[in-house]
Amino acid sequence: MKAHWITALAATLAFAGSGSAALAEQAASPMQLVGDVKVDKQVIENGQTKHVLVAPDVVVPGDRLIFSTRYRNTGAEPVKDFVVTNPLPAGVMLADSGAAVQTVSVDGGKSWGKLPTLTVADSQGAKRPAQPGDVTHVRWTLPLIAPGASGTLTYNAIVR
Amino acid sequence: MENRLTRSLGTGAAFAAAFTVLVLPAAANASGVTAGTLIQNTASATYTSGTATGSVQSNTVTVRVDELLDVAVAGLTTTPVATGSTSAVLAYSVTNTGNGAEAFTLTVNPTVAGNGFDATVQQVVIDTNGNGTYDPGTDQVLASGSPTPAIAPDGSLAVFVIVALPAGATDGQTSQVRLTADAVTGTGTPGTVVAGQGQGGGDAVVGSSGGTGNALDSLIATLATVSLVKSATVLDPFGGSQPVPGAVVTYTLTATVNGTGQATNVHVTDIIPVGTTYQAGTLTLDAAALTDVIDADAGTASASGVDVNLGTVAGGSTKTVTFGVKIN
Repeated sequence: MKAHWITALAATLAFAGSGSAALAEQAASPMQLVGDVKVDKQVIENGQTKHVLVAPDVVVPGDRLIFSTRYRNTGAEPVKDFVVTNPLPAGVMLADSGAAVQTVSVDGGKSWGKLPTLTVADSQGAKRPAQPGDVTHVRWTLPLIAPGASGTLTYNAIVR
Repeated sequence: MENRLTRSLGTGAAFAAAFTVLVLPAAANASGVTAGTLIQNTASATYTSGTATGSVQSNTVTVRVDELLDVAVAGLTTTPVATGSTSAVLAYSVTNTGNGAEAFTLTVNPTVAGNGFDATVQQVVIDTNGNGTYDPGTDQVLASGSPTPAIAPDGSLAVFVIVALPAGATDGQTSQVRLTADAVTGTGTPGTVVAGQGQGGGDAVVGSSGGTGNALDSLIATLATVSLVKSATVLDPFGGSQPVPGAVVTYTLTATVNGTGQATNVHVTDIIPVGTTYQAGTLTLDAAALTDVIDADAGTASASGVDVNLGTVAGGSTKTVTFGVKIN
């Protein structure tokens, strides 16, 4: 536990340096979120296609990015109803794989559901089934996170 | 370079705030997000802990989109361009299918397998005013080896290649001319990285086209050949056909134009043979009388010779000129 408190203190100092009071408040949170991104490169080795995750040093349209958020409960109390929301950046669209099983929004976070159950308005005002490219947000809900527990949430996106 | 790497909490927080200002709008291009665009991802969470509710935000990770080098070239000439004695214009389009503004080096190769002849390349011209039509004097002639101006992502540039028939081309022969466009930043195996040379501050990456494209336009030689046959009939003073003094000789000059093109500036000329005298008013073209004097009609005649200006004559035509002389 002691180690976690040190981490939280270090974060507080760093945020105080940036001069943001709002961030400083968040830094006191028992929950920690650390984002990361990797590129899923396909390489062909001995005739077999393999996926390799590399740092996003070179990224072009069509590349697959894996955005991850690592969470950790650094507090002494269990955390409940942990809801992580991730707006999709404008330059990417949700990858097909996983699009059907993730909880997503296609209306800027107003309503949520699995993609096959969602619809969007087409240009004539009628409804059409939502596509991965329509997704504006992804969301994860974890009912309980014990003290010290951690995990990683990921979604795959294609650079538009 | 560094700002494309993942930022960790703490050290990256100050930078993340600065990057927010730099976010560029992602253009809705067919060729993808514009090179230099920063893709930034931040997750946030809400929770309850005991009786309190809380929220937390992750650090922001930033990915800069690099420039993809891609190009497509198309021939805009769907039917072979008929080429005669004057230059022909072959039209092509060069489309930047990459995601960053890019200039292209153009190469014209008139030597293509199957050619009846290899055209003589005179000029490469870009459609400066963007109207899709070759405007001599307005559209810019590209000096040999100079690249095009930068073409925007998804943008197209019309390119005109001015060619002429080489000596030795014959009527009806066809030929193709290839225009190749190479991305100035780099070409090669798809995936090749040109470090630091991308638009918007990133790298450049050779796309699926290899950063190069080419297309063919065709032309067909439409030439005309002129042949001239001269014949004579004699009418002597006694009603016979003996070439004696006083006999009148009628010369017939038959000009035949063959080929699919047209012969221009065709003149039929002849001199009055020594020992004969031109018979005034006997000059005809296709059986119609021509005056001897220089005037609006096509022919003139004098004591020294005749000259009939046929102007432009299409292939497949025959023109007949006659005149009479008297043997002295």
